[in-house]
Amino acid sequence: MVKRRTFITTKSPNKYINLLLTTLVSILIGAVIMLALGHNPIEAYIQLFKGAFVGKLNLGTTLQKFAPLLLTSLAFATAARAGVFNVGVEGELYLGAIAAAWIGYTFTSLPGPILILLCMVVAALVGAAWSYIPSSLKAYLGVNEVCVTILMNYVALYITSYLVNGPLSAKTGVPQTPTVAAGAKLAQFMKPSQANMGLFIAIGVAVLVYWILNKSTLGYKFTTVGLNPLHAEYIGIKPEKSIINSMFLSGAIGGIAGAIEVLGTYGYFLDNFSSGMAFDGMLAALIVKNDIKMVPFMAFFLAVLKSGALGMERYTGVPKSVVDTIIAVFIIFATMEALFAFLQKRKAKLVEEQI
Amino acid sequence: MNDYIVEMTNITKSFGDVKAVVDGQFNLKKGEIHSLIGENGAGKSTMMKMLYGIYPNDSGTIKIKGKEVQGLTPNIAIKDGIGMVHQEFMLVNELTVLENIILGFEPTKNITIDFDKAKKEIQKYIDTYNMDIQPGKKINQIPLGEAQRVEIIKTLYRGAEIVILDEPTAVLTPQETVKFFEILNSMKADGKSIVFISHKLKEVMEISDRITVMRDGQYMNTVNKEDTDIDELAKLMVGREVFLNVKKKDVVVGETVLKIDNLWTSGEKELSKIKGISLDVKQGEILGIAGIDGNGQSELIEAITGLRKVEKGKVILDGEDITNKSPLKIRKSGMTHIPEDRNIRGLNRKLSIKDNMIAVKIDKKPYSKGLVLNNKEIDSFTKDLIERFDVRPTNPEILTEALSGGNAQKIVVAREVDADGKLLIASQPTRGVDIGAIESIRKILNEVKANGKGIILVSADLDEILSLSDRIAVMYEGKITGILDAKNGNENNIGLLMMGGKLGHNDSEDIGGNL
Repeated sequence: MVKRRTFITTKSPNKYINLLLTTLVSILIGAVIMLALGHNPIEAYIQLFKGAFVGKLNLGTTLQKFAPLLLTSLAFATAARAGVFNVGVEGELYLGAIAAAWIGYTFTSLPGPILILLCMVVAALVGAAWSYIPSSLKAYLGVNEVCVTILMNYVALYITSYLVNGPLSAKTGVPQTPTVAAGAKLAQFMKPSQANMGLFIAIGVAVLVYWILNKSTLGYKFTTVGLNPLHAEYIGIKPEKSIINSMFLSGAIGGIAGAIEVLGTYGYFLDNFSSGMAFDGMLAALIVKNDIKMVPFMAFFLAVLKSGALGMERYTGVPKSVVDTIIAVFIIFATMEALFAFLQKRKAKLVEEQI
Repeated sequence: MNDYIVEMTNITKSFGDVKAVVDGQFNLKKGEIHSLIGENGAGKSTMMKMLYGIYPNDSGTIKIKGKEVQGLTPNIAIKDGIGMVHQEFMLVNELTVLENIILGFEPTKNITIDFDKAKKEIQKYIDTYNMDIQPGKKINQIPLGEAQRVEIIKTLYRGAEIVILDEPTAVLTPQETVKFFEILNSMKADGKSIVFISHKLKEVMEISDRITVMRDGQYMNTVNKEDTDIDELAKLMVGREVFLNVKKKDVVVGETVLKIDNLWTSGEKELSKIKGISLDVKQGEILGIAGIDGNGQSELIEAITGLRKVEKGKVILDGEDITNKSPLKIRKSGMTHIPEDRNIRGLNRKLSIKDNMIAVKIDKKPYSKGLVLNNKEIDSFTKDLIERFDVRPTNPEILTEALSGGNAQKIVVAREVDADGKLLIASQPTRGVDIGAIESIRKILNEVKANGKGIILVSADLDEILSLSDRIAVMYEGKITGILDAKNGNENNIGLLMMGGKLGHNDSEDIGGNL
């Protein structure tokens, strides 16, 4: 039998069990913290669950938060495949968002679907173009991308801030752009929540990204470069090119995430709207070690935690930052797992050498 | 009572699930040179590391000088008179030879180190065994062969009666080996017992009194040198007859495929590691490049294949100037390359056999069209290669990091030979692989040659160079010290060139020497 082609063969089948255990332990530690703060963790978790799933508003909010998280986590995982640690998705998201907003309220005469498509494409292009700065610096000059992308997030944020307070301002007293054409808005459902068709766009993008990364020549090259750039160079795959291409893709996804927020959730670009959406996406990708199959589930799980946290705080008084603590514990565990894997590998290598 | 000073009986040792030694037997007489031979992974180093106390044995008994020892550690082993020279030297580069030797066992005068006393004692060993070393030099200023002598003196200084040498000749030229054997013999005459771990059968036959063979962690036999020969030993090691000296095929030599003209390139540290090399390779010819590792062979190959920048000079492949072109362009021009380090360049260890085999064809029809991979074609292509080149295991989805050295190397060889270029560069093609794979890789190289391709063979193994090449170029410190016809090449004249010497014109036709 021929197995389905994936570049990274799953090594241990208990990877999923590991993740499940990690989840449980993180939740337990969250419970301990709640106890220490003098709250009833069971009650809190019930409210968290209700806050995420029960009722149109709650479930809708979860879905609405899920769409951009899915995209930003994919954006991070895509670059990671080629060995690039792209912390700059937040910046790409902002720039993509404001580009989509501008198109959306400027070309109002275009029919809806075409306008939406145009918004998405331009947002993707803007995000991709922005990513070229850190990727080319890394590929050709060896500049560390982590540094550059973090710093460029601020640049992007302040550019949009300037635009939305100046040339693109709706002049309403609130730093926001004019509202996009009605046809450009993504249909919302499950009202009164802000869930919108962006969810399906995100899922579509996810499928496409999965295909590119795991089934195409482009994905093969990313993987080769990410795992062993020296080998890639020897084989005739230019590491520079793959680094830049993976960042283009990553930036484009980030841009689309921004566009979805503008066209689906708000209808306009609001200054500083993201508040770390891309960083949550990055965490989701990091927790599952950029395993593209698991990224959507982790993104969904984080969306549940984020949206349920509101309900939890409202009904039990447990501060919603406890949820951030749980996510942080998650990260620690994921890192520890990497540490164990590293130690095991070292041991295995020693054994190999010893024989 | 018997006269064994070391007895190891029924030894077993596992590392996790891997059984390194299943049934180890070894004994050593006083004043003998006893070779322990076997293929990579046969468990010979593991056996000796147990004797030296680096690993505890799982079961079995170890007796030293008739006394059973338990809970052996290197410290106890040293006290019991055992010394070991590892494959990789354990010397501190920044310290002098003298300091390295006495490290941890310094003679003291009040609270200071008594260097005079140390020097005198070391001089004693230097004189007795005729080992010339320079006690005042730092380790990074002395050649490998000398560092090895330092290691041996270090063990003697610590009072070793039994010296274990793990693959000691791997870093030596033929001439150095001769001298090294003289030292071993004088140590033997002085009553020291020596364990010589090796897989070079010729040397084993030359130096040993007795020989113990291991295969797959199992003790096979111990024989007296007088009662055996190379063929029998090889058979014991591998479990079947082996033919390493493939008969050279006489092929009609054709046009020049590769021409290297006055090539200069930089190394990791030096500005010019390769200093003006000119070579040419013709169709149907294997050009062997001999030399001790680190004399610029790696840099030369990297410069030819586009992996290192050429400073000056020209590389011309089949009439096309490929100097400083990208590796992809050079490949497209007809270069194929088995790199010296399969684990770094040659393979992507985290990817499957299939993904590694298809690597150079990923953008070619019918294996892909645009972005879309044609998995059916890729699968059948991989299966075909696995079968043709006898890669085991045969499941194409297995990660290459799980393969043995020989099978991993076969993947690289299969991929590059199948790419069917005009020139094949085989750099250390059989390093660290088992005898079975050596045999088949050498046969493949000969077939490639018979198909009219040019081959550059770089190898630190002089036997390999001699048995495969049609012409032999010898490198020393980034230059070619001589190019010989294989008919005129032997260990002596090549060994001399490897050390930077020059041949008289009577020895051979010395063409293109650059000294």
